[in-house]
Amino acid sequence: MATPVISIPEATNPHVASDIPFYKPHGNEVELFDHAFNKQLPLLIKGPTGCGKTRFVTHMAARLNRPLYTVACHDDLTATDLVGRHLINNSGTYWNDGPLTRAVREGGICYLDEVVEARKDTTVVLHPLTDDRRILPLERTGEILQAPPQFMLVVSYNPGYQNFLKGMKPSTRQRFVSLRFGFPEPELEQEVVMTETGIDPEMAKLLVKLVSALRSLKAHDLEEVASTRLVVYAASLIKNGFPPIDACRAALVEALTDDEEIIAALMEVVYACFGE
Amino acid sequence: MPEFVVGKFWNRLLSGAVESRDEDAVVLFEDIVKPAGILFRALGGDKGLAIKIAQSTHNHGKRSWLQRVAGSEEKIELAWRDHEALYLPSSINLFPDTALNRELYFWLAALAVESCEGSWFIENQQATLRLLEKFPGLQARYQRLLHVVLSCRPEIESLSDDNAVQENVLRQALTTPGCVSLLPLARYPWHPVHLWFHPTPPLSSATQSPPPARLEEFEQGENTQSVFQDERRHKAERQDVQERKDGFMMFFRAESILSWAEYIKVNRPTDDDENTDAKRAADEMDTITVTRDGKTTASRIRFDLDLPPEESDDMPLGDGILLPEWHYKKNQLLKDYCRLQPMVAANATPSALPVHLAVTAQRIRRQFETLISVRSWQKKQDEGTEIDVDAYVQHRVERQCGTLAADSGLFKTLNVQERDLSCLLLADLSQSTDAYVNNYMRVIDVIRESLFLFSEALFATADRFGLYGFSSLRRDQIRFHVIKSFDEKYNDQVRGRIAAIKPGYYTRMGAAIRHAGSLLVNQPSHQRILLLLTDGKPNDLDQYEGRYGIEDTRKALNEVRSLGIRPFCVTVDEKAGSYLPYLFGASGFIVIRKPSQLSHQLLTLYAQITH
Repeated sequence: MATPVISIPEATNPHVASDIPFYKPHGNEVELFDHAFNKQLPLLIKGPTGCGKTRFVTHMAARLNRPLYTVACHDDLTATDLVGRHLINNSGTYWNDGPLTRAVREGGICYLDEVVEARKDTTVVLHPLTDDRRILPLERTGEILQAPPQFMLVVSYNPGYQNFLKGMKPSTRQRFVSLRFGFPEPELEQEVVMTETGIDPEMAKLLVKLVSALRSLKAHDLEEVASTRLVVYAASLIKNGFPPIDACRAALVEALTDDEEIIAALMEVVYACFGE
Repeated sequence: MPEFVVGKFWNRLLSGAVESRDEDAVVLFEDIVKPAGILFRALGGDKGLAIKIAQSTHNHGKRSWLQRVAGSEEKIELAWRDHEALYLPSSINLFPDTALNRELYFWLAALAVESCEGSWFIENQQATLRLLEKFPGLQARYQRLLHVVLSCRPEIESLSDDNAVQENVLRQALTTPGCVSLLPLARYPWHPVHLWFHPTPPLSSATQSPPPARLEEFEQGENTQSVFQDERRHKAERQDVQERKDGFMMFFRAESILSWAEYIKVNRPTDDDENTDAKRAADEMDTITVTRDGKTTASRIRFDLDLPPEESDDMPLGDGILLPEWHYKKNQLLKDYCRLQPMVAANATPSALPVHLAVTAQRIRRQFETLISVRSWQKKQDEGTEIDVDAYVQHRVERQCGTLAADSGLFKTLNVQERDLSCLLLADLSQSTDAYVNNYMRVIDVIRESLFLFSEALFATADRFGLYGFSSLRRDQIRFHVIKSFDEKYNDQVRGRIAAIKPGYYTRMGAAIRHAGSLLVNQPSHQRILLLLTDGKPNDLDQYEGRYGIEDTRKALNEVRSLGIRPFCVTVDEKAGSYLPYLFGASGFIVIRKPSQLSHQLLTLYAQITH
């Protein structure tokens, strides 16, 4: 059976080349993404919260000039939510494409954020798309969509997340080229913070030093560590004229824990960096 | 009696005259230990270090004659660190302001991040310099503390010439760290420097003695109720035992009462006195001399800790399993270092659930039955994966007939709650569980009850579970009691074995965890949980105590985690907060304050982590 020919529309991406979101590479991830895109390989990105996974994918989609469909997965997300479903209107029922189907039809990039949060049956629809068949069968409508070369599937998850009872099934994990993200090196992180917020280098350096100190408490005293995103938040507040100590409390310390004793201790770390 | 009254009055008068400090401003170790620990680790301190109370040492510094008469400030507590722990004073009330006393604690915790080895005088200055350079925010705090510390130091005019020179140099070193490298000698030792570490810290357990030679004469571990609990480290020195031939009373003149620290040749190991004042005496002494044979005044002879005769012991299963152990100082995994012996209480009489637990068990079964997997279609939903055909047909019919039909509830959704997990409960059955938690129950009784109720609950949810217990007597005798293996049914036989658990021996946690991990990893479930039920730190008779035990346990837990198993710890040890985060992470354990609540909390926890 000949697969239906899908016409690929020109990308209707709001990000035109001049408007590519800022992303500072840590290593070879940009090249890896390019190669995976060219060779039509699906990509898995692992990394902690706020280390730039989503920004990286947005950046790459803009660079490659492809539409991006981002789905934030949650534990109620089903295969139907990805593929599509029948809906009802006055004249009867009609089929409505889900984000995955739309990405396949348009030859875009489908990005499933925190994929392990989704229900188990979701990953099953991904399987035929992630091997050499690259097809998406739509059971309800009887269609079998052949993914065009421009289609790319990217999934991400946070391996150290609290809910690590929900690991990723090896059968799913082994279908992806994997990329591990960590927090950037201090110099790089400082540059990111400066570019994102326009804050002066001295302040950026102090913020990065503070956040490195807070990160060293991971697992022992804190569940989650402060992300680059939080540093950027703190820097934005400071840049806007908010006092540094208060900005660190609001954007970094309070975001990490609810325990007042730990907050007091973390504030001591803030004082060690910024004075009182 | 009059002497007593006069003495008391005299003491109050003198202490009042010299005590210039404000007791309201005091900051206690227990209030500061957690935040200080966090600061220490955040600034780069070793996460494996415990934080303990420093032992007080003799104050050699110059005191006023009134202070000397009153005996105040005879002992001081200064901070220091070694490879086991960071030692901080039990309280600080140097300054009249609580905030400043608190700041001094934080300063010491921060300073401990910089290593302080080598010359005390130079290294403390260098550490201060390095710290202030790394964390410039501390500069203001240092200046504040410096200001008050200098004001508390003796007046230079009041000192003799050489001491005045020395004091001057010390002040310079404090004001501008790194500016002087030589501390001139003087007739009297200098006044203690509270901003720095201890110049001659007491010895730690770094010089560990070999384990006692004979089993039947070892010292009972710290967990026995009657052993005094003193967290302070005491300055110790080692002496070889000198056997006294006559074994008679010491000849000791009354006026030498001030020389407590002298090494007195008394055959302590055989001294049977109930030493009720041992704790105070230990506090009073600068140095506790411990003889090389490892027996102290507190030694208690426990013959029942020896292994039971073979015929009355549990039945061993197989020849034992060789397991590795982590030696953190050598940074190497010692292969086949431990022998773990699985055993089963073959003679346990099958029994029913104890009557007093029947009502609770029934309630728990009902609660846990609600957790069983269900898979059902929920109809008439506003949103859902499928169209609810019945609702849709009715909707169409109503519209055709001209009725105003609502557009809601036309979908259906599949509700799936799957439970696919295996749980291994590993109970610590060491001798310390023999301690009473209240007037009626020992820790072991609480553990037994918990095992019963836990089994009832898991039987109701149909989760796969195994029950095991462990204790150890050195590395070659790790007793791993099989109470219920995963494939066994929960029946009267198993209940009999739960009823038969009894406390004994020590807690070599690492090997037990490794073996439990290997049992759990073979279970076919998607989620695997290892629940450890314990009452204290890992410890055994040999070097397996303190940091050694902690590091091996940590290593074992990491190995287990890498197998995809989630370890969790439930403990009744109130001091567990100081070492469990290092082993299980901040949210990987709970400390149960009221041990009688153990079974209840254990089940709540299980429901939370699995649902």
